[in-house]
Amino acid sequence: MRAVYPTAYVPMSPVEIELYLLELVDLIADAVQAEPFAPCPVAVVGHRLVEAHFTGPETLQRTVEVLGHALLFNPELQDVPELAEKVVGILGAVSTGFATAMRLDAFDQQEQVKRALMTAKVRAEQVLKASEARFREVFDSSAFGIALTDLRGQCIDANAALADMIGCDRTALIGRRMIELFDPADVDALVATYRAVGEGGVERVREQRRLLREDGEPVWVHLAVSLLRESGGKPAYHVTMVEDVSELHLLRKNLDFQLLHDALTGLSNRQHFVTRLETLHGTSRGGITLYYLDLDAFSVVNNGLGHAVGDQLLTEVGRRLKAVVADETASVARMAGDEFAIVVDNSPTTPSVPAMIERINEALERPMDNGVALSASVGVVDRPAAGWDVAELLRAANATLRRAKAAGKRQWQTYDRHADQRLREQQARAARMPGALADGEIEVEYQPVVDLDSRRVLGHVARLRWEELGHDECLELAEATGLSLALGQWALREAAAEAVGSSASDPSESDPTESDPTESDPTESDPTESDPTESDPTESDGFGVLHFELSPMQSRDEDLVGTVKRTLDETGLPVSRLRIFLDTRSMLEGPGEDNAQFLRDNGIVTGLARFNGGQAELSLLADLPVDSLILDPSVVRRLAERPAAFLHDAVARTVRLIRSSGVSVLVAGVSSADCAAWWTQVEVDAAFGDHLAPAVPGYELSR
Amino acid sequence: MAERLSWVPNEVDTGLPSAARIYDYLLGGGHNFAADRALAEKFLRAQPNARTIARLNRAFLRRAVLHLVDVGVRQFLDLGSGIPTVGNVHEIAQKAEPESRVVYVDYEDVAVAHSRMILEDDDRTTILQEDLTDPDAVLAGVRATGLIDFSEPVGLLTVGVLHFVPPEQDPGGVVAAYRDVVVPGSYLALSQFTSDLQPDQMAAVVAVMRGSANPMYPRTRAEITAMFDGFDLVEPGVVPLPLWRPEDGAVDEDAGRAGIFAGVGRKK
Repeated sequence: MRAVYPTAYVPMSPVEIELYLLELVDLIADAVQAEPFAPCPVAVVGHRLVEAHFTGPETLQRTVEVLGHALLFNPELQDVPELAEKVVGILGAVSTGFATAMRLDAFDQQEQVKRALMTAKVRAEQVLKASEARFREVFDSSAFGIALTDLRGQCIDANAALADMIGCDRTALIGRRMIELFDPADVDALVATYRAVGEGGVERVREQRRLLREDGEPVWVHLAVSLLRESGGKPAYHVTMVEDVSELHLLRKNLDFQLLHDALTGLSNRQHFVTRLETLHGTSRGGITLYYLDLDAFSVVNNGLGHAVGDQLLTEVGRRLKAVVADETASVARMAGDEFAIVVDNSPTTPSVPAMIERINEALERPMDNGVALSASVGVVDRPAAGWDVAELLRAANATLRRAKAAGKRQWQTYDRHADQRLREQQARAARMPGALADGEIEVEYQPVVDLDSRRVLGHVARLRWEELGHDECLELAEATGLSLALGQWALREAAAEAVGSSASDPSESDPTESDPTESDPTESDPTESDPTESDPTESDGFGVLHFELSPMQSRDEDLVGTVKRTLDETGLPVSRLRIFLDTRSMLEGPGEDNAQFLRDNGIVTGLARFNGGQAELSLLADLPVDSLILDPSVVRRLAERPAAFLHDAVARTVRLIRSSGVSVLVAGVSSADCAAWWTQVEVDAAFGDHLAPAVPGYELSR
Repeated sequence: MAERLSWVPNEVDTGLPSAARIYDYLLGGGHNFAADRALAEKFLRAQPNARTIARLNRAFLRRAVLHLVDVGVRQFLDLGSGIPTVGNVHEIAQKAEPESRVVYVDYEDVAVAHSRMILEDDDRTTILQEDLTDPDAVLAGVRATGLIDFSEPVGLLTVGVLHFVPPEQDPGGVVAAYRDVVVPGSYLALSQFTSDLQPDQMAAVVAVMRGSANPMYPRTRAEITAMFDGFDLVEPGVVPLPLWRPEDGAVDEDAGRAGIFAGVGRKK
């Protein structure tokens, strides 16, 4: 036992081993003594040894040694015949049995190893297969493009989704360098990305990049690059996953487009244009030029041909305008119904503003499919200072467009700061005017109407004043806002009441019968007041006759006679103390010409105001029952500004001619001594102006 | 393509020697391959007593298991069980007490595959493929088997395995993690290589194994004793293999050449 025990591990206690081996020894002893001798039964000893795992390399040798010695020299066996031969036979049988058992055991173990290995392999393969199947499934069916590349960047495998994105066959991708699949602009960044991931500094990188389709179109993708390692942890492959976001891209762009573009024409809409304008204005070196267009008479097209045609035209206009600036850094937008805007970032080759306007008009004038030719009015803001903000630019362009439109069709104007300023102020005032009237901010002032020779005050002309705005400006503004009628009626009543009040307090009120200035006698003037510089007609002559100029709108008012009569009734002003002057130009236009006759029929002395002596106006004198006129201040001004010449002569002759026909002539706006002297010499019937006497508020009259 | 990927399980690589199969070879087993045997021969040159050490270690396992059965332990968790060979834990325990239940844990594919094969028909024994240094994973797997009742004493076996756990994986902490889930009265049987005995041969062995998949980390007796933290060492404490409760009639062995210290402790 002691000989064999250390040769191999046998999972038994020493006692168990002893018993086990003794059993075998007995078996051998029996065999040695058996008659007839047969070594076969001891073959089992070898088997039993192996069975108990007495399988060490030295086990058999030790066994043979021990057995050989014991059998040969055991006293109990000394009587056995042919002992030595039998021992050899027995040892041979034990050895053979041992060897056979060992071989079988080895086979068994090998079989077990094989099975274990097989099992392990099958298992591993199953897991692998499942894993690979899962991977393949993901790889093949993924909407993501997936590529596997070696560390040199060569594509080892790629899926169909990636091939689809690129627009080529899957197999064509294999062997290609991954970065070649991307937009050249992205390559440097990608090389860095792959390197960073390959060096293991970063686990995974996500970026947005452009894949390049076979047809050269870029495809926006979300990119994820990660590193695969071998089982030993050594970097082995890159996995690149790309998500085609170009559709998303397009959708987003589309949404942006819809938000920023006009649905009909596809041009930028106002919001987008504002952004573009801001960008160009902010970054331009050569300065920008802003064109603001309004199609002329487009409502006629729309109403006449229908909106569908109108829409077609607008679309075509958009196309043509874009073509006009196709060579420029420019943006075209549809700002409103038939309003368009173009901003051009001026380069050395950009056409001048007039040339550009010419191109725009040429583009629009070319007949459209349906034969319609268009034109536009354009407001231009050229190279505004950098400090202008975008809202101001657009407002200025629009205001300039309004001015251009006011001049007629197919007109254009460039921005004029002063004109714009005036316009803005006027518009601001116009907006405030109704409130100002209600609040009593607008006043009626009275300017003496003077006989130039005697300087005697014949009466007063009513003048409007609103803050620093004089009569003409007030009237113009009122006309523009439609307030003119109401304002005129109010002013007439004010003036009539004032005429009555002032005269009532004035003991030297002029003779009511003396109503016709043409009949006024210069000799009636006070000689003490012949010095113009010291004259004070209001004091000496009282209010006299109220001269009232009607606004154009009032002149055409169908109820004019009724209004005047009511005013006379309500204020108590005698009809003899009122002279109504109709607006000459309104009379020329026709609709109010009956008013002169009606006034005349009602005993109201009627004249024409703002008469400038034109041929048409002269003919009015023959047609209308008027007996006086007030020359337009512009005529007076023009003569005052020039040295005496042909014009002066012509006017003088005309005035004389008119007077000779029985129509008296009054002069407005006499603003200097020279002017007064000249008109005195021309022998007009009466005059008023700041040189003669300023307009004063009513309360100054009734001192 | 995928077979080149790291995420697939390691296939059985018969060209890469494994400690489990070397041990099998040293024990006279046949579950090994040329590469295992080649490394085992180197091992033998560095430590000519290796076969004896293997046999003594296996014998210690047997004695320890029998001792635990003797003191009433009926369930065993064999961590790093290796390739089944003669005298496996379940065979020893069940021969002594048929109701004994054993859960083997190993991460080596052949060990696991072979274990599965021989345990096919045994419903009181099973094998988990886990890394013993990941106690959470192991314990979760063990609980899932339903074979171990953690309200009863457990025999924890780490026999001839912790010398493969490097210091940075804190083998003491690993042992403690298992200790903490078993009830007092549970046992730990532990054996591992030491450099206290035959330091020259041990250093040679470490050198041989350094380049392998299973480098070895011999520890001092004090270090090994410290792994029994929380346990009361049963007599005779941490000793060379053959000196741990030798059986009657045992052949005298040279304890100085046993290479491995062994001990058994009872959880306090």
